[in-house]
Amino acid sequence: MNNKLVGFITRRLIRGLVALFLFQTILFALVHSLPGDFASIAGAFGGRAGRAAIQRRLGLDEPLGQQYLDWLWRAAHLDFGESFLYSPERVTDVLLARAPRTLLVFLSAAILAYGLGLWLGKQVAWRRGGRLELATTVVSLAAHTSFAPWLGFLALNIFAWNLGWFPYQHLINFNKWLGTDISIDAILLRMVLTGGAVFAAGLGSGVIVRRVRNRARRIAVRTALVFATGLVCFAWWARSGHASLALDVTAHLALPLGTVVLLSFGETLLTMRATMLETMGADHVTAARARGLPESILRDRHVARVAMLPVLSRLLLSLPFVLVGSLVIERVFFWQAMGQVVFNAIEFQDLPLIVGVLSLVGALVLISHILLDVLYLILDPRLRYG
Amino acid sequence: MAEQQFVPPSPLVSQRRLAQRQRAEGSWQLFRGHRAGMIGLGLIAIFMLLATSHPLLMSTVWDRRRYDPIVGFDMAYFPHPSRPSIDHLLGTDNFGRDVLSQLLFGARVSFGVGLTAGLVAAGLSTLQGGAAGFLGGLIDQLLMGLADVLVLMPAPVVLLIFGLLVRMEWPAVGVLYGLLTGAGAQAIIVKSQTLSLRAKPYIEAAQAAGGGRLHVFRRHVLPGLLPLTAVNLFLTVVGAVLTESLLSYFNRTRVDLSWGTMIWLGQETFRRHTLQGQWHAILPPALAIMLFCSAFYLVGRALDEVLNPRLRAR
Repeated sequence: MNNKLVGFITRRLIRGLVALFLFQTILFALVHSLPGDFASIAGAFGGRAGRAAIQRRLGLDEPLGQQYLDWLWRAAHLDFGESFLYSPERVTDVLLARAPRTLLVFLSAAILAYGLGLWLGKQVAWRRGGRLELATTVVSLAAHTSFAPWLGFLALNIFAWNLGWFPYQHLINFNKWLGTDISIDAILLRMVLTGGAVFAAGLGSGVIVRRVRNRARRIAVRTALVFATGLVCFAWWARSGHASLALDVTAHLALPLGTVVLLSFGETLLTMRATMLETMGADHVTAARARGLPESILRDRHVARVAMLPVLSRLLLSLPFVLVGSLVIERVFFWQAMGQVVFNAIEFQDLPLIVGVLSLVGALVLISHILLDVLYLILDPRLRYG
Repeated sequence: MAEQQFVPPSPLVSQRRLAQRQRAEGSWQLFRGHRAGMIGLGLIAIFMLLATSHPLLMSTVWDRRRYDPIVGFDMAYFPHPSRPSIDHLLGTDNFGRDVLSQLLFGARVSFGVGLTAGLVAAGLSTLQGGAAGFLGGLIDQLLMGLADVLVLMPAPVVLLIFGLLVRMEWPAVGVLYGLLTGAGAQAIIVKSQTLSLRAKPYIEAAQAAGGGRLHVFRRHVLPGLLPLTAVNLFLTVVGAVLTESLLSYFNRTRVDLSWGTMIWLGQETFRRHTLQGQWHAILPPALAIMLFCSAFYLVGRALDEVLNPRLRAR
């Protein structure tokens, strides 16, 4: 069986690599079929001599085949050349430097939205009918199908402009950052780490207390562990003296985060509800009910656990699309991160950056697909032995 | 011995047709019982009515100079944007154009983009996934290789970037969106569905009875794929309309006017011209996108539940 698994993964990887290779080839063809080339865009003001110089520097005067091989070789090394807009910087560096800002918003939003969607979907499906189901379905459907820039605009208008609860757009309030020696990204990275630590404590404590039979004690231990982690993080922040800066970022973070959660939780809820309803009629649930198990155990262990799989696979598949959302949301909220960079690149025709981003998205999609296939193979014995 | 008469299989065929019709009618009965699906269908009908009413209104009641969605201007009202009134039921935007007229015109664009994308995606994914799953071999490898590549390109991003090279009209947006989603992710799903269909005994029986490849594919495989095709069609519309609105919102298309551009204009001019903000110009297109997409989503999901035999049993 193990051999089979390894064989499958190898085959899947090879197919993925072939797809990635074809994808890069298409990108190469696309870039070279553009009306202008890299040099004519970058050297628009340099005249013929400037253009020739840039062509030489970028290697565009070589034969096409040689360029193609160079292209593949560099793509394999994650090198997409030098960005036009951020000139001396490499594309990879430009993107990586802004990744924490995007990740902070979208990873935490994804976790929140999926938690909310899974939990609400479970509850709603279990209590079929009634006002609650109608209300949640309508709200989640409206959130899922609403136009993203519009939702952001609405949030800004109501909560930042009219009520004044949150700061209006942008990443930080510069006045608060005057005279500080730490960069925004360093703070963001620490915030991501803090959030990750608390989240990991929540997950890890579940593993630790698995053996504890008493429900009340289990909950108490988990709460204590999460609380302790939070306390340690809080003490660390207080000691570092950057807590006010983190608070400033958090205040600016609230609106974009809320908007992304609102946009993405609806789909999870609807899918979870549908798969729950599908599973609730299954034979193993009837059998478990006949054994006299309490309803909450039935719901959580026998139905929700099975129903969650398709929803989780959807989560995995939708993660690369973080970039799609970031394009729009970061534009609306002036959240200066990866999406903003990509948007500027589109606006100013920064071709290397665009190609780099497309490759990045492609690679991420590929990785998540392969991960999903392997996960299914491990989780579903029917596929393994079939 | 009496000469044995060859009995043409026509009665069987007609029996099968009857059974198919009965099954379709049964599905319709089930769908009628699905409340959310019927609400979605009703909403789609309303939007269709709105979209078709625009050219009629323009040619009869509405004066072209005052009500044209793109270049109209009403001299009788000042200043623009004006609040809702008898002449302009939803008011005017800050260029003096009637908002209701724009809304109706936008419905036409949304239907165009959505249905184009939906048809292209559903048709392509069914043919590609079906052929790959049914025929197998080299064709399977080629078609699925294509799907593997296309799945790496999320349609909204690719279209946003492609919009930088070419400003597209809405049919191009629809076709490209349908191509990217249909021949990519949807084809993979259809293929796995085809594989599970091919393992069914009735396909083997049809092949054993001497049915040619094309015949078996058309008569036995395709009907089994139709439910999935229908669901794909309706769910693609949602993504396509949202993407077109996004592209138009960011000025990446050559669409003169759609719900996306209306929202963009409303936002751009929201605070500069009136102190109170012109909700009458920005709320209608936003709600229209939401309701339009919800309608197609509801119908798609309802079809999934009605046509899916696993759910049907309940």
